[in-house]
Amino acid sequence: MTLSRSPSPHPGGGWSSPGLVPASGTVSPNGPSPGSISPGTPGSISWAAAKAKSDEVRGYPSFSTRNGGFFSRQRHQISTRFHSVRRFSSREYVDKDDFGREWKRSGSGCGLLGALRIPVRRGRFRLLLALLLVWIGYLFCWTSIIQTYRRSPIGGGNKFVIILGSNVEGGVMEWKGAREWAIERNSIWNKQRYAQNWGYELELANLLAKKRYSHEWRESWEKGDVIREAMRKYPDAEWFWWLDLNTWVMEYDTSLQHHLFNDLESHVYRDITAYNPLNITHPLPEFWLDELGRSLEGDGKADSLNMLLTQDCAGFNLGSFFVRRSDWTDRLLDTWWDPVMYEQMHMEWEHKEQDALEYIYQSQPWVRSGVGFLPQRSINAFPPGACGDGDNPVIHYEQNAHDLLVNMAGCMFGRDCWSEIYYYRELSNWLGRSGWERFRDGVTDVYDRMTGKVRDEDD
Amino acid sequence: MQFALPPRRSPHPVPLSRASRMSSYRRKQLKSAAVLALAILSLIYLLRYFYSSASTSVVAPVGTSGVVIVTLLDRQRYSDSYLKKIVANREDYAKRHGYTNFFASASDYDEAVGDAPMSWAVAPAMRHAMATYPRSAYFFHLAANALIMNPTKSLKSHILEKGRLDDLLMRDVPIVPPDSIIKTSAHQEEKGVELIITQDSENLNPGSFILKNGEYARFFLDAWFDPLYRNYNFAKAETHGLDHIMQWHPTVLAGAALVPQRILSSYSHGSPGASLDGTYKDGDLVIQFHGCEDTEGRDCAHELEPYYKIWEKKTQSD
Repeated sequence: MTLSRSPSPHPGGGWSSPGLVPASGTVSPNGPSPGSISPGTPGSISWAAAKAKSDEVRGYPSFSTRNGGFFSRQRHQISTRFHSVRRFSSREYVDKDDFGREWKRSGSGCGLLGALRIPVRRGRFRLLLALLLVWIGYLFCWTSIIQTYRRSPIGGGNKFVIILGSNVEGGVMEWKGAREWAIERNSIWNKQRYAQNWGYELELANLLAKKRYSHEWRESWEKGDVIREAMRKYPDAEWFWWLDLNTWVMEYDTSLQHHLFNDLESHVYRDITAYNPLNITHPLPEFWLDELGRSLEGDGKADSLNMLLTQDCAGFNLGSFFVRRSDWTDRLLDTWWDPVMYEQMHMEWEHKEQDALEYIYQSQPWVRSGVGFLPQRSINAFPPGACGDGDNPVIHYEQNAHDLLVNMAGCMFGRDCWSEIYYYRELSNWLGRSGWERFRDGVTDVYDRMTGKVRDEDD
Repeated sequence: MQFALPPRRSPHPVPLSRASRMSSYRRKQLKSAAVLALAILSLIYLLRYFYSSASTSVVAPVGTSGVVIVTLLDRQRYSDSYLKKIVANREDYAKRHGYTNFFASASDYDEAVGDAPMSWAVAPAMRHAMATYPRSAYFFHLAANALIMNPTKSLKSHILEKGRLDDLLMRDVPIVPPDSIIKTSAHQEEKGVELIITQDSENLNPGSFILKNGEYARFFLDAWFDPLYRNYNFAKAETHGLDHIMQWHPTVLAGAALVPQRILSSYSHGSPGASLDGTYKDGDLVIQFHGCEDTEGRDCAHELEPYYKIWEKKTQSD
């Protein structure tokens, strides 16, 4: 053992000492054969275990590039170690796998002790200590450093505010039961986690039902007022993302910048005829309008996009949409609700503010050039049960495509909001597993298949 | 902790004086490099900041200039001889000051207006003028029941000149007289004004207003012309529609400037409902025979005649 290969704590690598562990760096393990560690296992299984282990080791460098959750992963490894020791004799295969890890770990411990015991030159010792300090700093502060950076103007996170409509009606219309509270708690937690991860602001909008003017209930239009309030509260933010309570952010590791805003023009379609469930006449035919008013694609510049929304099978959907701080948005939010329009249409506008927006989009040409449509699944995927049984690839959530958000639209009408939220919560946790968990699941999977096969043979 | 990477000296002893000179020189170099790097970084940051803030501002399109006078000619309400006089009046004024005329025929907008009163056609006509002359800065709508009485007065010197509007603005005044609780801003300034309009004793007066080309203009005209307002059976059609959006939508009100009635639309003596000091006096830019076209017992051509003669005399004497 030479000191030049003494344990170097590289981020994410844990305490594996290169000089001691045969399976280190980029070399695949060719050290102790699995068979020698646990004799009597079927050859195929030990081969799979060895391969899986080498995969795991090779996988380390990619761990280190992942920003979040490293510390928890480390903690997880420690806990699984204890776990495996307890189960040493009961389940052979898992033991073997974890035994190998155990062995490696103790070896690396030896390496550290050895490094300390052997007289080293002072400079090298200092270097070692400095590296140790850096590593500890990394362990404890990296996540918060990353998050602080993302929240800063350079990181761009402060340009986004997520507005979550919560406490819908505040229990005025219907009694709020345990499930409603659970939905609320979980949904808020979900947005909090996403916002914190990327340095966005989260604004909880308390949508108490209240009589705004003497004779109208206009609860759905509160959206406009709430967004305007948020704009005042966060003067640095540019984009405001409205989310209904019954939504779930599935991918915590996908930033809005990367997902949409770095290259907005390529994600947005402005020509509503591309997908037009409402059969809106577009472009407008009126001869007295200017080119902008009659154009198919607005002015075609990303700068003029002030509202991003999706269409579901029935038209505009406002469960998840973006507005940008601008004069255009001020005007839209201002004209969205109007007493003269409301008086004439409130019986027909079943979906209230959504229908009102559809109406304004059709009747007032200035609106069109500011609206961009996103493919529904990019920010507003539906679960099965909304707009069909889940077989429409344009509308329904696809987990293989890692859609960003699921909107349990209409779940309060004959479906079960809480069970849907619960399902997608678990699914997103499962999809967002860390590399180690993924590996463990994979191994368990293989193991189950093996044992299943064995059982079949027994039968 | 003192181990945390102190500036390392070379372990081999070298002549002391030389070493220190070297290190101080090195330090200077490093310092200047660091300062330079910082300067470049901050410059990049500043540039980024300015770029991002510049792209969002909304002003009247750059490169626009000139004034377009929009007159809506409704041949069902006015006789041809009457309209001929109005056209002559506008053409003379435009020629004097280098303005452009846009005569819109009301019947063109039949389809757009639908079942609503034809007077609503003013909104699509303005839109049409803006589409036809996208490079013009100002659009002056003057209804066919109004006559320009002071042809030598240019709009620029009269209203649009820098600083002039600041003197004319009516601040903290009910937007719809006499007692609307919605008032014009008490601190309104010339900057940000997109629409210049007057009121009489009851309503805003859409018969004569100046609109600046740009996003606000499109928004204002489209919002005003919304089908639900047209179908609402406002007693005074587009006038009440205008009153309505001004009072209910702060973003509409924000661009509007109220000026004294005689600046843009002095009422003739026969027209009821002029505001205080809103009746025509010699020297005013415009006289409006407000209501002559749809009030029983009034005849626009008859009311126009004496003033038209005065105007003819004025143009010949110049």
